[in-house]
Amino acid sequence: MNTPEIAMQRYHDSLTGIQPSLTGAELPWLAGKRRSALEDLTRLGLPQRRQESWRYTSIDKLLGYELMPVTEAMASLQESDIRHLWLPDLQTHRILFVNGRFVPQLSDLSGLPAGITVGSLRDLIRCNPIMPARWLGHASGASRHAFGAMNSAAIHDGLVIDLPRNQRLERPVEVLQISMGRDDAILYQPRNLVVLEAGSEATLIERHVCLGNSHYFHNGMSEILVQEGARLEHLRIQEESPAASFLHGIFARQAADSRYEYSGFSLGGAWARTELNLDLQGEGAHARLDGLYTTGSNQLTDYHLNIRHTVPGCRSDTRFKGLLHGRGRAVFDGSIVVEKEAQKTEAHLNNANLLLSRRAEVDTKPQLEIHADDVRCSHGATVGQLEPIQLFYLRSRGIDALDAQRMLCMGFAGEILEQCRIRPVSDIVGRAIENELNALAPEVAGASSD
Amino acid sequence: MLNIENLHASVDNKPILNGIDLQIRAGEVHAIMGPNGSGKSTLAHVLAGREGYTVTDGQVLFEGEDLLGLETEERAHRGVFLAMQYPVELPGVNNAAFLKASLNSVRTARGEAALDAPAFLKLARDRIALVGMQDRFLKRNVNAGFSGGEKKRNEILQMALLEPKLAILDETDSGLDIDALRIVADGVNALRNPGRAIIIVTHYQRLLDYIQPDRVHVLANGRIACSGDGTLAQELEEKGYGWLNEESAA
Ligand SMILES: Nc1ncnc2c1ncn2[C@@H]1O[C@H](COP(=O)(O)OP(=O)(O)OP(=O)(O)O)[C@@H](O)[C@H]1O
Ligand SMILES: [Mg+2]
Repeated sequence: MNTPEIAMQRYHDSLTGIQPSLTGAELPWLAGKRRSALEDLTRLGLPQRRQESWRYTSIDKLLGYELMPVTEAMASLQESDIRHLWLPDLQTHRILFVNGRFVPQLSDLSGLPAGITVGSLRDLIRCNPIMPARWLGHASGASRHAFGAMNSAAIHDGLVIDLPRNQRLERPVEVLQISMGRDDAILYQPRNLVVLEAGSEATLIERHVCLGNSHYFHNGMSEILVQEGARLEHLRIQEESPAASFLHGIFARQAADSRYEYSGFSLGGAWARTELNLDLQGEGAHARLDGLYTTGSNQLTDYHLNIRHTVPGCRSDTRFKGLLHGRGRAVFDGSIVVEKEAQKTEAHLNNANLLLSRRAEVDTKPQLEIHADDVRCSHGATVGQLEPIQLFYLRSRGIDALDAQRMLCMGFAGEILEQCRIRPVSDIVGRAIENELNALAPEVAGASSD
Repeated sequence: MLNIENLHASVDNKPILNGIDLQIRAGEVHAIMGPNGSGKSTLAHVLAGREGYTVTDGQVLFEGEDLLGLETEERAHRGVFLAMQYPVELPGVNNAAFLKASLNSVRTARGEAALDAPAFLKLARDRIALVGMQDRFLKRNVNAGFSGGEKKRNEILQMALLEPKLAILDETDSGLDIDALRIVADGVNALRNPGRAIIIVTHYQRLLDYIQPDRVHVLANGRIACSGDGTLAQELEEKGYGWLNEESAA
């Protein structure tokens, strides 16, 4: 067993080791960022259970793995291996990453309008580093915990989108992020950077999937800037391996009159934590954050939301739902902070959980911190089971117990799925959840006693 | 068709049905009346198989089969249908999908082929018109945000689709406007045939004016206090339930 000290030393040494070989090591601004992130790592230390934001989320198991940081794809795939993973019936700009590394041969960015950048961070650092030099670290700010520092210490590849002023990208950008573990567990750390300049508009669809069932640790970060009047629709489907550890920090900043619409679906992973930090920094900015997670035995799904209203007249609507079964565990920690100047804020946050088993467990903590006096805010959380009267009603109409349970669960999930405007995405998620529910059959038989 | 003998049932260990005897032959319509809390809905739920309603004594045979030994959905497959006094809201569950799943489960159990989407829609539209609803109710979620009367009509729509052998209507007439009352009555009368039986739980004579029951029973304290023909309902309308106690005391 590794002590945190040993694990820390190992992370530190391996990152120090790879830094000189990373793309752009010769660029002072980038080498400096990476070096200072290493210092942050030492300074911050690993997260402790006594820290409020890690209270319900143990990293002990993660520390037990000998992780090998990788900066290469470590696998070669054929078109036929991944063809079925792209969304059906949707024209998109396709971009593939394997273990965090851009794979141009299997991407298709041919239809991109001139002047729009959609591609790999690594390529941009090599050929035209002005944009990353300007924006990397801008939305994320200083590292908040060791894993964020680790990511920044090894920035090398990830998705980049740079949309110039008033450009509207018709087709969605579809990112396929494939993880392929190996015998020795790998650590990969993608770093995404999305900048929508004033008045521009785009849809970004990210899908995280795994080929194989091995262990790996995805430690990713995304920085998103939605400038004045710009609009980003951001959809994410997380279907990591049942053995995977997954941590991803999203840092989004919104300027005046911008729109950010997030729909996140977390289905996989043994240990999966998503941190969503949203700063509404320009008047009239609106955000809608929708989330849906399913969690079964041997799974922990953790959502940490940090929504900050700093200026007047912004609005955020946040609704997350969780479906738990078996010994599934979930953590929802969502906070809205309304600062003193942020008058006329409208902010709502709700988390609802449906427990299909008595052994499932959720810790939910919605929080509201308001320093302004003229605001409309609400927050709430519920944890409940299927209503026996609803099950009875369906069964009395001839629908068997398992189908009845599935219909009610899909109804629960449907309220989030309906919000998702890209049909192929909600279809894929809906089907995945139905499959997950169908696999529960043996447990349902004993549902009343369990 | 339905044979209830000495039925005792309790809810949360509280005895509510205290020995009910009732025989209904195919083709008959029976009305059950009685004061609030006398056990009418409890009887309906016991017949439909609701969990938590424990039968402590007695038996129920439906077409010769032990009804109480069947799961809730199996009873529906045999042709038992309960229109609930308080229809349940199912947020997020589409009404059309619900009706189709329900109809197909019952059809499959009856050995009929499941209907595909177009065939179902055609039938559903037809029955919707029959109960005076609009097609848009198919797109909504089951009973969610329906008015009281709309929920009751949705129950009748289900009955019209499933064509049950034994329909139990628990106060389907409460909360209905005059037009809707007629629709419920027409729905029941349309269903009436020599192969079917219908139980109507009601507080009011008015529905019975349209339907003309073969027998009327008065439930009091979990027992059938008295039974008679259609005139009993009129008598109750005039005299209320007070005289029942006097009579049983005498
Ligand atoms: N879960 C329960 N726990 C305790 N008592 C219950 C429960 N459910 C029903 N009861 C009681 O059982 C009795 C019969 O209720 P029931 O609903 O069958 O009456 P009803 O005849 O249908 O009345 P109404 O005309 O008002 O619909 C009532 O006194 C009711 O309070
Ligand atoms: Mg009742």
